[in-house]
Amino acid sequence: MKRFWKWTIGIAALLLLAAFTILSFMAGSPKDAYGMVRYALPHMHRGTLRVGDDAPDARLVALDGSSGFHIRERTAGRPLVLVFGSFT
Amino acid sequence: MQIYNDYREHADFLTVYVREAHPTDEWQMKSNVKDDVCYAQPKNLAGRVTIANDFIRRFHYPVPFGIDDMSNAANDAYSAWPERLYVIDERGHIAYRGGMGPFNYNPKELRAWLAARYGEVKHEEKQNQAPAKS
Repeated sequence: MKRFWKWTIGIAALLLLAAFTILSFMAGSPKDAYGMVRYALPHMHRGTLRVGDDAPDARLVALDGSSGFHIRERTAGRPLVLVFGSFT
Repeated sequence: MQIYNDYREHADFLTVYVREAHPTDEWQMKSNVKDDVCYAQPKNLAGRVTIANDFIRRFHYPVPFGIDDMSNAANDAYSAWPERLYVIDERGHIAYRGGMGPFNYNPKELRAWLAARYGEVKHEEKQNQAPAKS
């Protein structure tokens, strides 16, 4: 039984190491791999929206920081292209 | 931005600022330092507004702009972080859903969607346009 656990833990450790190595290669470095796991993956979601679904509404704040508007206010008459992103 | 210049006569555009992807206090990239784009993750709405306005001033960004508030309602509704593209049609339905950024963020695919609907449009690239309004 002791031997079984030794092998199980060893294989799991090797798999983890392999996964981290591949992630480091994809992200650019081990530090970036850590950043991806720690900060990016928890916030990345494929989501459930599909083409044909009702577009969700949300209130956005204007650049003056005080006034606001709803996304759906901008959808009258023409298609609305939404570009989500940040500065960094 | 070139897509905006090319198709603004056919479609409306709205940029939505969501939480920072690579702030200094989280996963900062070397390219952020090189490009002098170094911001901590905003802890309040005023911080987001400041960064959004910096972005617009720096790039003379002309596309209409809105900021997701600290509840991240827009981000959550559209699973938008770190970057993503959508088109909402005239009836309020999702007409195009882009992939999750950064790996599947594909403006060419959006351009193809617009071109399929309105034809190929290619205007001359514009520099230093009037900055965005909300």
